[in-house]
Amino acid sequence: MKCHVPGANVKVLARTVHALARFGDELYLESLPDCILLRTLNAAESAYAMVKFNKNFFSYFNYNFYSTEDNEGLKCKISMKSALNTFKSPAHIEKQVENLEIKLDPESCKLIFQLKCRHGIVKTHFVSILDCKAMQAVYTKDSVPNRISSPQRILSDALSNFQSSDDQVTLEATSHSLILRNYIDCSIDLTKVIRTQISLKPAEFDSYLIGADTTITFSLKEFRALLTFSEALNLPLQLHFETTGRPAVFIVHNGTTFEAHFVLATTKPDNASQTTATQNTNVERNKRKDTSTLGSAKKKPHLETDISKCLDEDSHLFNFVDMPGENEINLSNKLSGSIIKDNVNGKDRIDLMDCDNIPASPAARTMIKSVFKRCFESTFDPRSIQGAVLAENSDSD
Amino acid sequence: MKFRAVMIDAGPMREFSNVVTIISKLSKECVLRLTDDHLYFIVSEENSGPSPPVLWCEIPQRMFCSEYQMIGLDEEHKDIYMALSSGNLARSLVTLKTAKSLKMKLTKKQCPCLTLEIETPCVLSQQTRQVTHDIPVTVIPRKLWSDYHEPRIPDPDISIELPSLKQLRTTIDRMRTMASEVVIRASAEGRLTLQIKTDMAKVSTRFKGLNVEAFAGPIEHSDSETEETQANEDMSRICYCRVDAKKLSMFLSAEQIASNRTVCSVVHKKLVILCLQTDENVKLQCFISGIVY
Repeated sequence: MKCHVPGANVKVLARTVHALARFGDELYLESLPDCILLRTLNAAESAYAMVKFNKNFFSYFNYNFYSTEDNEGLKCKISMKSALNTFKSPAHIEKQVENLEIKLDPESCKLIFQLKCRHGIVKTHFVSILDCKAMQAVYTKDSVPNRISSPQRILSDALSNFQSSDDQVTLEATSHSLILRNYIDCSIDLTKVIRTQISLKPAEFDSYLIGADTTITFSLKEFRALLTFSEALNLPLQLHFETTGRPAVFIVHNGTTFEAHFVLATTKPDNASQTTATQNTNVERNKRKDTSTLGSAKKKPHLETDISKCLDEDSHLFNFVDMPGENEINLSNKLSGSIIKDNVNGKDRIDLMDCDNIPASPAARTMIKSVFKRCFESTFDPRSIQGAVLAENSDSD
Repeated sequence: MKFRAVMIDAGPMREFSNVVTIISKLSKECVLRLTDDHLYFIVSEENSGPSPPVLWCEIPQRMFCSEYQMIGLDEEHKDIYMALSSGNLARSLVTLKTAKSLKMKLTKKQCPCLTLEIETPCVLSQQTRQVTHDIPVTVIPRKLWSDYHEPRIPDPDISIELPSLKQLRTTIDRMRTMASEVVIRASAEGRLTLQIKTDMAKVSTRFKGLNVEAFAGPIEHSDSETEETQANEDMSRICYCRVDAKKLSMFLSAEQIASNRTVCSVVHKKLVILCLQTDENVKLQCFISGIVY
């Protein structure tokens, strides 16, 4: 694959990389016959981003430059840090760079970015390829009942009311208003934090369609990153979301050359507690108690029903027995747990998601039983151990 | 206990936001006292003993609020005292500069809260949006009220009007990099001297022709001190106080407030009182106790 990006579009690419860097630590690049895809996933697997650059984004695009017989797209994974290094200071890059050439040779272990700057300066970055796999999330953005299209400034203005320490936001959408509030974890002392609520009227948005009233909670860090992205490129933002537990999809596109999808996991609602900002502890606390015992389960609240079942049945928690394989539609139910589907060709599974073969965790109760086995034996007779020296007397001095 | 206030004028709202920002710079925590006609912000020393508060700020409600209602504990105890994080308050009020109205309420939302309802105009349309901040507060019980009474200060020996705070602040900030203590010296002739001493140098900045509001001299100096000063000055008409330069600089960040005048009162060798008064009758007083060797 070889392509040229004209100067004006280098800025878009730079902004993209900077936005994706706020999501994940690794950048997946995939080249297809008519487009290039950049993808990333955050460590907790609760946020995914995909940006698609169409052929006409580039001034020159040759998918088959190295004329391989392999008809599949070229894929590679690079570290986000090295990508960021290539696109330093996106605000100024437009003035400096006249052209960018990207080369991906299937035989090589480096991805090459060649920046042709003004005054004949040429900067070439050889970026190590970490892997040749691609990763893809499956989510639905088209058949969702709730869609909002927002001018770029509105949401970021609203978010400026939040404290910088806030890390999650709850969005309450009804057909007559959109309420944003900072999400307060029950572990935080209520007397220390400000609770903020912002109410936006549908008239502020370009289009506002709420088919089913809902309340979703998602991470602010990534939300801020994607808002910065849409603001920098001066493009409106589209929100597609369903209900809680299902991913919320944020779309930024300019219609012709590129399209960015940002997918964020949403956490379970706190039913009653969310009706007013004034009362949101009890239900939440219970919920958190459940999930906190399960490590990262916070990010996978949709699993909760399964989890309670699992707890009854002695923990098959990490077995993902009911992972719906290739069944794409169902996958969106199981957001972060299975946000990642198999590689496009279905062969190279991403290691970390390859959980089908992991045996069930040992049942906790059995474990305890075997440690204190004798205590639980019905026939235990203290006299039977008399005489036997269990622990010798220590020296008498 | 009930409290509700509404502000709708842009000028006072901006000033209110500025005042709170200054307070947040001076201290993390502050006490808000509400009375029938004033709002007070009080900052005490962190380890508050019998010492007077560090900062005392009076805001007349009539100049600021279009509506103001409050009911205290009972007939005898009409005031409300609450402690809150000044940083929280300041950060919530940042948007006040462009806001249309501010509503303040004392609410009970799991814990006592000062609820701020800010109505801001939308960027693109004529609509407004509503932002609500619930800032947790601690209501101060009656038996502790006495800690926050207006400080009784000794009569100052001299009160002198300060030059522009901006100028003063740059001066102090330069001095602060060299020494941690600064001597403020005010004379009945309208001279104000800021002086620092280091092992290497002695730096003084003098301001002349300042308006002296009051002078209760003559000042008695012990013999050992007179040798430090210039011979041609009448020592009985000069008083001075050594203070922490950092505290002084923090107060001077109040230059952001469009004030009409700031007066510096000095109790010889004991206390410096800086009092800033604005057109809206906000009175911001800062007490910096003197350092004595």
